[in-house]
Formats: sequence, structure tokens, C-alpha cells
Amino acid sequence: MNQPPPDSYASDPTWADLLPLPQDDGQHPLAQIAYTEEYTEAMSYLRAIMAKNEHSPRVLQVTAHIIEMNPAHYTIWLYRAKTLLALSAAGEVQLGCELEFLNDLALRHQKNYQIWNHRQTVVEAIAAAAPAEQEQLVREEKGFMNSMFERDEKNYHVWSYRQWLVRRFKAWDGELSFVAALLERDVRNNSAWNHRFFVVFGGMDAQRGPEEGEREEEGEVVEREVRFIEDAVFIAPQNASSWNYLRGVLKKAHRPLSSVESMCLVYAPLDEPDKITSSHALDLLADIYTEKTEEHGKAVKALELLAAKFDPIRANYWNYRVGLIKAAA
Amino acid sequence: MSSTLLTSKHVTYIQSLDIKRDRLDYHLTSHLRLSGIYWGLTSLHLLNHPTALPRSETIAFVKSCYHPSSGGLGASPGHDPHLLYTLSGIQILATIDALDEIDGGKVVEYVSKLQNPDGSFSGDEWGEVDSRFVYCALSTLSLLGRLGDAPGVSVEGAVGFVLRCLNADGGFGMAPAAESHAGQIFTCVGTLKIAGVFEKSLSEDQVNLLGDWLCERQLPNGGLNGRPEKLEDVCYSWWVLSSMAMIGRLHWIDREKLVEFILSCQDEENGGIADRKGDVADVFHTVFGLAGLSLLGYEGLSEVDPVYCMPREVTNRIVWNRRKTPTS
Repeated sequence: MNQPPPDSYASDPTWADLLPLPQDDGQHPLAQIAYTEEYTEAMSYLRAIMAKNEHSPRVLQVTAHIIEMNPAHYTIWLYRAKTLLALSAAGEVQLGCELEFLNDLALRHQKNYQIWNHRQTVVEAIAAAAPAEQEQLVREEKGFMNSMFERDEKNYHVWSYRQWLVRRFKAWDGELSFVAALLERDVRNNSAWNHRFFVVFGGMDAQRGPEEGEREEEGEVVEREVRFIEDAVFIAPQNASSWNYLRGVLKKAHRPLSSVESMCLVYAPLDEPDKITSSHALDLLADIYTEKTEEHGKAVKALELLAAKFDPIRANYWNYRVGLIKAAA
Repeated sequence: MSSTLLTSKHVTYIQSLDIKRDRLDYHLTSHLRLSGIYWGLTSLHLLNHPTALPRSETIAFVKSCYHPSSGGLGASPGHDPHLLYTLSGIQILATIDALDEIDGGKVVEYVSKLQNPDGSFSGDEWGEVDSRFVYCALSTLSLLGRLGDAPGVSVEGAVGFVLRCLNADGGFGMAPAAESHAGQIFTCVGTLKIAGVFEKSLSEDQVNLLGDWLCERQLPNGGLNGRPEKLEDVCYSWWVLSSMAMIGRLHWIDREKLVEFILSCQDEENGGIADRKGDVADVFHTVFGLAGLSLLGYEGLSEVDPVYCMPREVTNRIVWNRRKTPTS
């Protein structure tokens, strides 16, 4: 779909009808830009084509060429998208090819988010044109994201795109096992924990009506999640993500923090400070004991251990919490 | 490793950025040029060298990025308008007291057209949604003095969207259910502050949970990361610290260690600050390192406003002093 760029636009007959438009920065020294030759030429032909508001296959050629050199140039993406949609509506391009182009770019430019925004536009258009093939499309999209996650499991743009895709196409099936596999690979992947929360509660709340059957009782789900967390904490006690997730689950289920006191004590036995393996367990214990006046002494002890030994860089914070307890007494 | 702020080197570094125009990387960053100027200008103001960039040329460049037909600004001349650069342009003009150089009413019109029915804002006509853009929209409107009377803009709707981005861990993400991220927290808390609804939007417990999440970003080397289990980076000295300042929890940070970390990321030869020690400096990390130091009360720097990331003196003049009840 993307013709390879010519050696020179000026000497290529398919571009001969255009008068290249050079960069016009006005006369402001703050913005005079000296481009390299290749970039300058491609940009000046693109400007010429944009000035005519032309949406033809050669737009794909020149924008691909520029994107290859500078994928963060959002204006180029915008014009390319408009052109693609126009050509696709006229039956002149297959949008599926655009996804292949994007796959290759995304793998090489991990930090770029314009690619993902553009991808969303293209996928919407493909789905609208062929509703019957949505399932296949979603499967392929998820497959490609796996290749992205193999390179960076915490890529924010890819995770955002995945959430969009799952919501948009109600593609909740398989998400829980997908995220479990990622957490098995790296239990400290906070992005995966966040996605788990999204899948477990977002999927349950928003997407599955009872008429669709198989809806687990909320209580069972919470039990399952707590067991999952227990396993994760056993592997890595000092992992903020799993403890944060635990708090989120308890809150969502309206369960008291004290329901996990015994689990906390495994990793933070207050009476045997030498055996404490998790500052997060200490932190949670402090919260549990703060809730009951008669246990304030234990809460203070946990916070003092945090300030002095287990998380001294945040001593100001732990001392602030000690202050709150003492003020309440 | 330097243990003091290399003020004059940083000033020279920022002034020199514009001279490297013959290099390809200057060109390849044209898609964020206007923000680059805002970062440089703000750095210079914080360093107490407010006139180190030529004023008339700065104004001329901002105007060359302005699209009279839509009212938005692009990153460079010929680039499409976008909320990110519209805000940068307005921040620059506000900082050098030149807001009357462009048609503010037209800018308001541009911003208002980008609001979606769910209260969120798209970054441009193409519809990309991100809680960052809600901040860009509200910040732009308030700097123009038009937050309360922007036709068609629902501040309440914007606030509602931001609150839907709040997660169970206490932080905010890019969209509802998206992972908490320090940069997004800055924009969400900033939005609530600009709208003047922060105090009534979050409970004391929610604020403490957020503060807990934020101060957990400090690593044993003193630097801050943007998400759990990620590397430290100087720019989070801004996103995390400004958020903590806005919610009144700045004192939970280990100040000395963070100051030491930021100073260690300075380029001692050519000036500028890098993301972390030994990396190449850039203007983005320079401004956020300096702004972080300013929040920490580092000697010799002007005060920065944690809500706007602009000199306090400027935001007092055009925002806070015009409000009946200060909200920050």
C-alpha cells in the first residue's frame, strides 16, 4: 500500500505536477529550521499536496516516508488518517494493510503514542466496514499486543489501547487468564495488576448482564481474588502492587481491612521485628489497628518500625500518621 | 557531582537551544517546539533570568503557531492546532504579559469545541481523549480569565470526568480504569484545583491515600518514579511533588535526598538537567527539575505555582488575585 519513497521527489514523474512548498516560518529567528535534505524535500511535497487537499495513494507514500523519519509529527498522522478513510470509502485501499504498517512502526517506536491513536481510528473503520469479522479483528489485535508486551510489559499506550479495545468490542473473554499469565511472569507488574482490577470489576459491573449467564457471585470473586493475592504476596512480600490491589478489592467489596489481619501478621509479626519481610504489611496493620482505639499502641509500634527501619525515606509520612493517632487519643 | 545549582550554566544552555537549528534533532522536535519554548522560558523565570529570551521574537513565534480560523495553536508554524500547544502558547504569553497579542475569545471558542458529552476533552479535532487534555482546557481558559464564562464549556462535566479517572489505589489515570500515573495525577488534581472544587471532591481519607501513593514514589536514592516498580526520573520531581504540594502533603517527602538527586542530574559542563545522572540533558527535564527544586524551597529560585507550573508571581497577577477566594 505504501509505495517506497522515490530517490528524489523532484525527479519523479508521479510528483512532477506539484510545486514543492518550503517551510514558512515567517522571519522569526526563533524558528528558522534547517532540515536535512531528504526530510525537507518530503515535507515540501507533502505541504504542496495538503494545500490542494488531495487524498490520493501518493499521500500514503509521502506520509509513510515522513513518519519513518519522524513518527511523532501528529499533523502528518492526521492527514494520513483522513486520506486512508477517503480511499477506503472509495474502495481504493484495504485498511488491514495499514495495521501491518503500524505493527512494524510500533515495535520500533515503543514510546510513541500517535501510532496508537491512529490505530484506534483504523480499527474503528475496519470494524464498521465488516461487523461480522470483529471477533477475528479483536483476536489479531490482542495477538499483536502480546508482541508489544514481550518488549515492554508496562507500556502505558498499549495498556490504554487494550482497555479501549476490550470495552469497545466487549472482548472480556480471556482477559483474566491473559493477565494472570503476565503476573506469573512478573508479579511486580503494576500495569497488569491495574488491568486485573479493570477486568474483574469493570467487566463484572459494566458489561455482563445476568441474562448472559455464568456471572459469578461477587462473594466468590472476592474470595478468588484474595487467594490470588495471597499467592502473589507469598512470592514477593515486598511488592507494593499486590498490597495496593488487596486494598482496592477489600474496598470494592466493602470488607473491613481487619479481615486480612492474619495474613499481614505472617509478613509483619510485630512482636518479632527481625522476621518482618514486608513494609506494606506493616503499613496495612497500622491501618487495621488505627481503627480500634484499644489497639492504637500496636498501630504506633508498626508506624515507628516503618519510620526507623523498614521505610525510613518516608519517615515524615509515618510520623505524621503517628501524630494523627496521638491527636485522637 | 555538583552539590549546588549551576544557575548560569542552565541559562546559557537554554539560550543555546535555539542556535542549534542546523541540526536534524532540532527539526525532529518541531512537533513540540512551542512547548519547548514554554519549558525554556519558565526555566529562565525560575532561575531569575526572565529576560534571557528575546521578548518580541517569542511573541512573534507564538503568533506564527496560531490558527486564526480555528483559534487553536500548533506546535510550530504549519502544524495542526492541538490543546497541548494551545496551552503552551497561552502560558508563554501570560508569563511575558502579552496575552493581548492574540484573540483570546477565539482561543476560548477553539477549546470549547473540544469538549465531549462525557465532560472529557479531545486533544484535537481527531478525538484523542486523555485526562491531560481536560487540564489543558481548564488551565487555558483560566489563564485567559474565561473559566466561568466560556460558552458551551461544562466545568462540572470536566470535573466529573476527572473524578471517574480516580482509582482504588488513590491515584488517577489517563481515562477511567487506566493505571495510576504521576503525570496524570498532576493533571487531574490540577483540574480540580483550577475548577476550585478540590476540597469538596475528595475526602480526607482519599487525600491521604493519594498522598500515600505519591510519597511511595520516592526511591532509596532520593529520586521519584511515576508508577510502582519503575525507574526514577527527574521529571517526576515535578509531577509527584506538585501534586503533593497541591494536596498539602509535600512534607512527606525526604527533601534532602530529592534535592541531592536532582542536582546530581545536572550537566556540569554544558548546563541543563537530564532524566537521571549521566544521561543527556534536555529542556523538558531542565524545567521540571528546576520547578521541583523551587517547590522544595531551594535557595535562589523563584517560587513556582504547583497548579500551573508557571512563576507564582505570574499566576498571582492573572489568576489568584482576581478570584475572591483563593483556592491554592
